Amino acid sequence: MNTMKWLIRRELWEHKGAFVYAPLAVAAALVLLLGGGFLYALTSSAFHIQHNGHQMITIEGVPPEMYAKAAAIAASSYLAITAPLFLVLPVVVFFYCLAALHDERRDRSILFWKSLPMSDRETVLSKAAVALVVAPLLTVAIGIATSLVLLVLGLLSSAVKGVNLIAPVLANANFYLSPLYLLSFLPLYIVWALPTVGWLLLVSSWARSKVFLWAVGAPLIALALLAWFDFLVGRFSGLSLNVKWFGEEVVARMLGGLMPGIWFGEVNGRALAEQNAGLDGPMLIGLSYGTLASPAVWIAAAAGCAMIYGAIRLRRWRDEG
Amino acid sequence: MNTVQDAVLDTARKPASGAALSARGLTKRYGKQMAVDGIDFEIPAGRIVGLIGPNGSGKTTTLKAALGLIPFEGELSVLGFDPRTQRDALMKDVCFIADVAILPRWLRVQDAVDFVEGVHPRFDRSKAERYIANTKLKPGMKVKEMSKGMVVQLHLALVMAIDARLLVLDEPTLGLDILYRKQFYQHLLEDYFDEQKTIVITTHQVEEVEHILTDLLFIREGKIALAASMEEIGQRYVEVMVPNEKAAAARALQPLDQRTVFGKSVMLFDTQRAGGLSRSQLEALGEVRHPSVADLFVATMKGSYA
Repeated sequence: MNTMKWLIRRELWEHKGAFVYAPLAVAAALVLLLGGGFLYALTSSAFHIQHNGHQMITIEGVPPEMYAKAAAIAASSYLAITAPLFLVLPVVVFFYCLAALHDERRDRSILFWKSLPMSDRETVLSKAAVALVVAPLLTVAIGIATSLVLLVLGLLSSAVKGVNLIAPVLANANFYLSPLYLLSFLPLYIVWALPTVGWLLLVSSWARSKVFLWAVGAPLIALALLAWFDFLVGRFSGLSLNVKWFGEEVVARMLGGLMPGIWFGEVNGRALAEQNAGLDGPMLIGLSYGTLASPAVWIAAAAGCAMIYGAIRLRRWRDEG
Repeated sequence: MNTVQDAVLDTARKPASGAALSARGLTKRYGKQMAVDGIDFEIPAGRIVGLIGPNGSGKTTTLKAALGLIPFEGELSVLGFDPRTQRDALMKDVCFIADVAILPRWLRVQDAVDFVEGVHPRFDRSKAERYIANTKLKPGMKVKEMSKGMVVQLHLALVMAIDARLLVLDEPTLGLDILYRKQFYQHLLEDYFDEQKTIVITTHQVEEVEHILTDLLFIREGKIALAASMEEIGQRYVEVMVPNEKAAAARALQPLDQRTVFGKSVMLFDTQRAGGLSRSQLEALGEVRHPSVADLFVATMKGSYA
């Protein structure tokens, strides 16, 4: 266990830029742009609400029901403002996994790591844990902090404008629950990300060079070949291969699992569209976890675990270079 | 040459109690290339063994097999473990430098010390810090900011602070200047080594290690060319300074090697060669002394590059 702690620390030393500085930079940009916008609004003369993109209302006094609705939206959805952070996360983790077991062979430092009493299993699992748990948690933490800063800036600037939402937002239970709702997606995220992390670690452990080409090219070429066969076979025999199934169930899960919210692709879209009083956290969680009822998710996750096991076995005899 | 090898295999086959490392028919092929060709050897515990051979002779392959880094054929027991199947257990008692300058570029000196302390139960932090204090390394320094020599110094400081039962050093001092090299071998002998430990060293700078070695293992084209303790070598091989008038008589005794220094012939004899050769016979020829390991190596490896 102690070894695991140090192995994870080691990964953070090496990849501090990707896991800490990159999200911090995005967070800083968000605070500067949006927070700056709020502050700029302070200097303009009136409080404007834009509706449907063309109708501009200038409000002097706000009706009480608008107050309540605005406060409810702010309290339940303030975390949504950090969505860009969750677009950075999959990119960073994707390249982290590709490099995780390849770079140590390229720079021969594997010979140093292998001279210490750490098994291949501990080493590979530490890297999988960083990709699946540590990196998402860091992004969530930075995301929550950024959202709070922006919420405070937004509330202050509207309060100065005479629309004081501070009390109703603080009184709204969703304000406190939202971070917990966000965190509760992590186990689901892990299940969905496992096939991608497993595949990337396997390629990283196996390929001697050009890891990106192997990881992305191999499944895409397989898909293209399959589509071509399907076309030929369909022409001459009327049989049809299930290319769509291969694309969605294999290639998409292998390459897209790191994208937070990819499971919404399997969720009934109508329910999602009807979110007019801010985000309904429990409902989103319910819909998302509902995707676990499909065996395909679990088969893919099991395949991910098997590929991580494969990466461990490959690292055992992988020489440097 | 055959006589040397036969004698060597005889000594190597003698059962040794408490062997730190023992190989039986150790074989490694890279494609059709035979890197290690069915070698047998024993290294008893508590010895400092020099594994010496030209480039490509199979030294590094042998060590990598012993460290569980590559698969191989034959039998190999390291501290009683099979490095193929029991590597994780083995690495608790073994430490090695398989190559220099392989520390990752992003690693800081203090992080390296913290990390090894965290994962290695036999790491002595104060010892590592003492070695580091002796160099120009600073705690916040990253490997990418270091000269090659400094990287080696950091690596050696980490490894020397680990109380391992077997220490394997493959060219440990490459890139170090002579002052630090001498200092390192001094530390290795005085601070590190004791009866419970076994050290295996490969190096090209034989003359720098020969005074600390207890045993020699010459390897040539994937085969053991000589395996003996330094005492055995001192008794068996004799170097004679032969004046010119006795040169012809000396040559009749079939020296292994000969060279000329200041007009005198220096000849190397194997007293255990077939036919026998007595020390007094050699003393009659001229001044007798112990050959250096380097000269013995050159004589043994004659023809390796031809």
